[in-house]
Order: sequence, then C-alpha cells, then structure tokens
Amino acid sequence: MSDLIQAVISPEEIAQAAIRLRDVALNKDLSPRAVLELFERWAAALPGIDTQLIPGTAFLRLWLRRGTLEPILQRELGQAVFNCGWREEGQAKLRAFPVGVVGHWPAGNIEIQPVLSLTCSLLGGNASLVRVPTDLVESTQLLMARLRDVDPTAMLLERIKLVTFDHTREDLQMAMARNVDGAMIWGGYEAVSHVRALPFPHWTRLAVFGPRLSVAAMDAEIWNKPSERFSWCRRIARDVWQFDQQACSSPQVLFLERDSCGEVNSFVDELRQAFQEENQAHPRREIHPSLTSAICFARASWLLDNVANKAWFSQSPDWTILLGEGTNIPKPTQGRTLTVLLVDDLFQVISKFDGAVQTLGLAIGSAQKEEALAHAAARRGVDRIVKLGRMHVFASPWDGMDLIRPMVRVVRHVPSQDNAGAPRPPGTGREGHRKTGE
Amino acid sequence: MSNLPDIEERIRPLLASEPYQLNVDEHQSALLALLKDELAYACDRSASIRNYVERWPIDYRTSSRIADLPFLPVGVFKSDPPLALVDRSEITRTLASSSTTGQVPSRVVLDAATAKRMTKGVMTIIRDFIGPTRRPYLVVDTAATLAGSGELGARGAAIQGLRSFATELVCCLRSDPGGNLQLDVERLLEYATKWKDAEVLVYGFTYVIWNHLVKPLKNDGVALNLPNVRVLHSGGWKRLQQQAVTKEVFAGGVAAAFGCSPNRVIDFYGMVENVGVVYPDCEQGNKHVPAFANVIIRDELTLEPVTIGQRGLVQVCSVLPTSFPGFLLLTEDIAELIHHDGCPCGRRGTAFRFVSRAPKAEVRGCGNIETLRAHPFVNVA
Repeated sequence: MSDLIQAVISPEEIAQAAIRLRDVALNKDLSPRAVLELFERWAAALPGIDTQLIPGTAFLRLWLRRGTLEPILQRELGQAVFNCGWREEGQAKLRAFPVGVVGHWPAGNIEIQPVLSLTCSLLGGNASLVRVPTDLVESTQLLMARLRDVDPTAMLLERIKLVTFDHTREDLQMAMARNVDGAMIWGGYEAVSHVRALPFPHWTRLAVFGPRLSVAAMDAEIWNKPSERFSWCRRIARDVWQFDQQACSSPQVLFLERDSCGEVNSFVDELRQAFQEENQAHPRREIHPSLTSAICFARASWLLDNVANKAWFSQSPDWTILLGEGTNIPKPTQGRTLTVLLVDDLFQVISKFDGAVQTLGLAIGSAQKEEALAHAAARRGVDRIVKLGRMHVFASPWDGMDLIRPMVRVVRHVPSQDNAGAPRPPGTGREGHRKTGE
Repeated sequence: MSNLPDIEERIRPLLASEPYQLNVDEHQSALLALLKDELAYACDRSASIRNYVERWPIDYRTSSRIADLPFLPVGVFKSDPPLALVDRSEITRTLASSSTTGQVPSRVVLDAATAKRMTKGVMTIIRDFIGPTRRPYLVVDTAATLAGSGELGARGAAIQGLRSFATELVCCLRSDPGGNLQLDVERLLEYATKWKDAEVLVYGFTYVIWNHLVKPLKNDGVALNLPNVRVLHSGGWKRLQQQAVTKEVFAGGVAAAFGCSPNRVIDFYGMVENVGVVYPDCEQGNKHVPAFANVIIRDELTLEPVTIGQRGLVQVCSVLPTSFPGFLLLTEDIAELIHHDGCPCGRRGTAFRFVSRAPKAEVRGCGNIETLRAHPFVNVA
C-alpha cells in the first residue's frame, strides 16, 4: 500500500485517526486564502507523465485554480471568509467554522473524485477522512503525491487521512461513520443507500450526491442546421466519453425534437463520425467484463425488441448509438452507449422527469424556448441545465446543493456589551433591532 | 440461400463424425459456411434477428472467420416470449435455465428436429469420455425434476441428455413436505450394493451432489463402494464458492463418498442456451470443442479473440439449433484459452478452461440509477 493511503484493518485505526484529525480541525484555524494559495500550487504541480493518464486530471487542475474556487467561496460563505474574521449582520456577527471531521465516500468510477470531494471540506476548514475505493488507490496516490510536493509543512496534509478497505468490511464502514461530523457521499444507488444507512451520530451532517442520471436534448432548429451539426455532435461525444458515461452528469439519452423536414439519418451519420473521432482521441484502456456484456446486451435487445429501431456500433464495445422514438428515458447502459430518441415535443419529455435527472444538456435555437424548457425542467427536479459539451463542468451548486457550506457551521455571535464591536454609524440605534432572546 | 433441409443435411455428418479429430483450420472451414447459412435462415424466419444482423458492423456474408459473425448475448433469451425461429405449433419443448433466486431464467424453444440433434450432440461428446456402453444411471436429484412435458428446467434437461447411456434410471433424492431435497440413504445403499462392481453412471448438479449427497453421507460416516462409477456434474460453482469448495475439494469429497478415484469425477460446462453441446474436462483439466461447435474467448476490451494463455468472455457457437437463434452466443462467463491444438489427451482443436462468471462491478458510479424514484414528482404548474 502507498504511504499516503493506509490500508486499514481495524475500526480502532479509524477511530484514532479521527481523534487526531478532529484535534487539528477544531484547534487550528485554516485560512481560506492559504488553502487557495496551496491549491494553486497543487494545480501547477499536477501535470506529469504519471498523472496525465488519470481521467479528469485536466479538469482537476482547472478546479484547483483560484479563479475557480474564489468565486465559489465568496458566493457560499461571503466575502468576509477571506478576512478570517466575523462579518456583521445587524447586531450580530457571523463567522463560518468547520464541522470537524468530514468523512468522504467517493464513487468508485471517477478517478479524481476522492480529491475533489476532500477539497470541498478543506475549503470549509475541516479535516477529511477519505475512504478511497480499491480501484482508485493508485490514481489517488499519484494526485496526492503532488500535494505533498507543494505542502512541505503539511498544512493541508495534517488534515487529511486517506484510508482504503474492501467495501464489504462493514465494521470499518461503521467505524468511519461513527467518527465523523459530516459526510460527503457520492455514488450509485447501492453505494449511496448503503452508506446512508450507516450508524452516523445524530449530529453528523450528510451531503449526498447521486445517484442521478442526465439527459441531452436538441431542438430541430439546431440539429437540422448542417453548418453547426457536427460541432454539436462533437460536444455530445465529449460529454458521453468523459468518465465512460458512468457519472451522474453523463448523458444517457439524447432527445431530438423532430420537424417535418428533419433528416435524422444525416444527423446520426455525423454523430457516428464524432463518436469515432472521440474514440480515436480517447481510446478506452480497460473495461469491466460485465460492462462489455451490458453493452452487447443493449445493442441486441434494442434491435430485437422493435424492428423499427436502428443502431450503429463498433465491433468492439467502444461506442454505441441506438436510434428510436419515445419520450421515456430508457434504462441507462453506460459505457458510451447513447440512446437517441425522436420526439414531437421536448416539453412532453420534461413532463415525465421524476427527479432522477440531474443535468439537462441543451442545444436550443431560441433563447425564449430554452428559458421555458429550463424552467419546466427545474420544476421537475433537474438541478443543472447547461449547454451541450459542458455537462461535466463541476461547479457549485452540484445536485442543487452548495459544496462547501453544508460542511461548515455559521456561528452567530450577539455581543453581550452594547459597545462591543466596531463603532456604529450615527442613527443606527439598537433598540429597534432587538429580538427576543438576543 | 437459406434452405433448412440443406442445412440439416450438412449438420448430419458433423454430428456423425468423431467429435475431436479436426484441427482448428479444418474446424473453422467446416463451420463457417454452415453458420452463415444458418444466420441467413434465421434472418428469413425472424424480422428481429434480421434487424440485428443487418446492423452488425461487418457483413456476415463476406466474413472470412467465425469471430466476425454477429453473435447474440445470452441475456436476450430471457425475453418473453422466447426467441424462436419456428411457429408455436412446432415447439415440442421449452428449456429453462437454472437462474438464481429472483432472476429471470433464460428459455429456449425446441422443435422435434432440434431436440433430436441436441440429444445426439450430448451423446457424441459424452461417449468420447465414458465410452458407448449403456449402464445403470444414478441421478442425484428427484424424479419430479424430470416430470412435465412442456417446460423443462436445466437440471431436468441435463439428466435427460444422458439418458441414452442408461440401462435403468434411479433417482436418490426426494422432496420432504417443505420442498427440501433429502437423500434417500436406504435406497442409495441398496443401489450401491446391487451395482458395486458395475460401471455406474452418476449425474447431478454440482451443488446438489455436494449439499445433498456428499455432505449427508460424510455426516453419517457412510462411504459407498462403487469404485467403477463415473460421476458427471455440471451447473456451476457459484453456490459452492460460498462454502469455499474448490474443484479439487469437490472431486476429493465425491470420490470419498463413492469409494472411487477422484479422476472418475468429471465436471462439464454447459448451458441451456447452448443445449446439445457440453464441455467435459479431459484428464488434463481442459475443455475441448467438438466438431459441430466452437468456442471463441473474446477480450472484453476489444471483443477480438484472445491469444493463448489469455482470458476473456466466452462465446459459444453451435450449428445444432434451428428452432431458436442459438448459433453464436456471447456468455457472461470468463475462460482461459489453453491452446489451439496439441492436448496430451489426444483431442484435437481448441482447448480452454472455465475460470468464473464475469464478476459484477463494485459500483457503476453516481450515474447508476437502479430504480425509479419511489415518490415521483406530482404535477406542478
């Protein structure tokens, strides 16, 4: 096992690690400016022969930049967070404090997610106890080694404990849950349901991300325009390729709003070409045999179930386009298998959303129509409505939730002395603001 | 042109020949043209199959190797109604797989001609391993497993498949009132005494033999005295892996129970969807491909055939079925390709070893939606 990630075998190891982490988190302030500075250096240190093969590293670099994170911090915690001081709100003063130790259960399919998740809680001043999924140990080790290079005083590293153990070790899962004050849980249905059911203390704050799925949609004005069609197809291919279509933000289905003169075969031809090009640029290096089976099954069942259905696919499991009609979201296959469904009206599709859809990737000709679609989708539980090609751009809020604020406590201080705090401007008497109990 | 009588005529010599005498090239050329014609026949008989075959990236009519022909994943046989190439009136029997609890079983439909070829196929293969003589046949199962004329389970089908080798058939298990399998010890001991010097044929599902014969006999301290027995078993290891029973432990346990040598215990690989073709272990522990079938081990990343020593997903091929599209099937099993020729056992052609079922992935990410939301959104303005 790596030196940065510990293979734990007993609940006691986890409990001891949590005690140490909590001590640091609750007794040492962590300046957001210092965190941003270190993240900036971490981003600069990420490129390398070993890290370039880790999917998502380019995105992680972008995420760690001050230009990305400063606006997020500012929006979620306010400008005062950068002064490490209290901000005034009427008679009271407010300041964000860490909840303590945040446990992270990242999904096992996204290489950079252990790191992404812990950065969110570090920005809130917390310590992080991360369960690294078995398959992600190697990539996480490489990414964390770059942090070690730029953090010689262990300002951040002393707040991070990365552990790994088999997901079936219920005693270790429970030990993690019992020892955290906050939890960031990411993953599929089984994983999320399992972790949520662990014995967290009653005060533990849970932030659950997933399971969700995502959908793409285009109106005829866009997909029928020969001059723009291929660039949209490339955007779709990019969204499908990232994370092997296993992320909650991955489009599983593309709804095409038809019109009388639309020639869907031309569109699919260009989509196929975009898939082939994307596959050449980003070939798959490995695949789980069960996913290969699922892809083969999706192709066959699609064509056998309805003779009006069509499909295009490579001889390998590399990519698959399934074409048919219908307004329901089909069961996702993942693994670069995109179902393209012709519909008469995109609003009809959206009216069937049940809250499971996280991101709606759109390519719509009319801004007014797009606004109406976005509004309808938001009403039906969609949390992100973005341009096609940008479906995976990780930002706050995610799944309709802030990423940093859920893991901080915003403490309210109402001074006991009237003269406490800064001098008040004339004419701001306190009597009129007093509330019962303050 | 896809002409069924012509296809049947060309299957016949493959079934009649020695099953393991062709080298890989001879084998490939013997099967390729026939499989192509069977695909054309299936396309004529089924618009669904035609839709699938026409969308395959390589035109099967111009393919020069079996590996390029369009295969179906075995999961498609879970459809209802089952995939068929014959009219309902022609179906004489439906075979169902032994699905694990809660899963939908695979089902394949047989007409009289296909059923006959299935029986012949199993006979040809097994004869090569145990010889042609008929002998007493002890079934480690209940008589009820064989009952029913319409739909037959995998256990029943496997038992029936060996019946041609039997002079008489005796079942040594019975169901108690709760439906649990119980060993009829008295009957078994009587049987063992009667046939102690005979070459008795024994068949049962692997886990049934272990749980309902080997374990009870061991618990009672009973060992049979049937040194000339041949114990065939199939049906997978999943349930025994949970008890940490390996192939070696199994063979040793069975040998102790019957009082025979462990090399008289033969594991064979087979499945309902590939009915008529079974893959027994030779004395080297390898599985061989008979003349009327083929196995391609495919790399899961590329779906190309693997090279010797590599593992991948198993594709089974068979020219036998004409009542259902079971010619070229991608299974969910993993096997290792041992060699294309030259097994010391003397059987020619491709040899492989079964490794496991394809393991289920730990997670499929935050996009893994298993169920719809229990409380879908109500209509909102």
